[in-house]
Amino acid sequence: MEGTVTECLRNAIFRVELQNGHHVLAHISGKIRKNRIRILPFDRVLVELSPYDLTRGRILYRYRT
Amino acid sequence: MDTVTITRVAQTQWEAVADDLVVGRGDVSRRPDGRLFLSIDVWRDAAFDRLAATMLADLPTPLHTLVGEDDHDTTARWERFGFTVGRREGAYDLPTDPRESGLDATRLPAGVTVLPAGEADEDLLRSLDRAIRDEVEAAVGRRVLPAELLAGPPGDTLVDPSKYAVAVLDGDAGYAGLVRVVRVRRRARVGLVAVRADRRRRGIGRALLAHALEGLHRDGIASAWTEVDDSDVPALALARAAGARRATGHLELVRR
Repeated sequence: MEGTVTECLRNAIFRVELQNGHHVLAHISGKIRKNRIRILPFDRVLVELSPYDLTRGRILYRYRT
Repeated sequence: MDTVTITRVAQTQWEAVADDLVVGRGDVSRRPDGRLFLSIDVWRDAAFDRLAATMLADLPTPLHTLVGEDDHDTTARWERFGFTVGRREGAYDLPTDPRESGLDATRLPAGVTVLPAGEADEDLLRSLDRAIRDEVEAAVGRRVLPAELLAGPPGDTLVDPSKYAVAVLDGDAGYAGLVRVVRVRRRARVGLVAVRADRRRRGIGRALLAHALEGLHRDGIASAWTEVDDSDVPALALARAAGARRATGHLELVRR
């Protein structure tokens, strides 16, 4: 799902507002870390939700615009 | 009961499935320097071990991965599979405002000129880049060089020569140092500041960094970021002299 980063928390965890208005706590994926992509507030991101907890997610991609 | 099934879904990707749900993914990619970097993301702890065991059996060593310096759980997981800390690196925010950084781009060391990004002669730039890489490799090794994620053209280490500003010493035929800055929208990464070994200790690195930060400040970008190897004392000193603030850090783990 697409969302917007609203807050950077500790340990590479972010609060993300999804397009449907829900908020999730998301950490960065290993690929994001491996590619040294920096996530900041207001970034538009692609989030994969946990199949076990829909309030948790993982940031898979940061859009460039 | 362990119900996780691992499948290599592509040459560089593995998937862990349990109860018809994808509960984990593994990925491997090759850096331009030839090193293989792994990553694993899971929603279930058991999936990590299964993915790691499968990937390690499929791949040659040495293998590398990056973890957050505060992520002790993930670090411990990799350590169970024989990974050890190869290097530590900090990510730093650099203020671009000279009043904050303390750097003044207008005060260049005597005899030094800085050519802005896009104005360097590409042949001379390549020659400098090659000389600096050889010097680093012969001294402390490539581990202190910033990570390069994009491969240049075959046989070339410069992905985009227009991103480099260079320093010239009066009377020199070649360049003495370089700084590479990449901008993505309103953010910027200082990817590399380097000076030839026989031209160091003249303030050239500081002048190059001041030049780069001033350009960003002029364009309304308040801060840049950079990564510095924790063992690279001169680079740390330069970053700190520019008002750098440590934002986070990474551990590079290696399985040999």
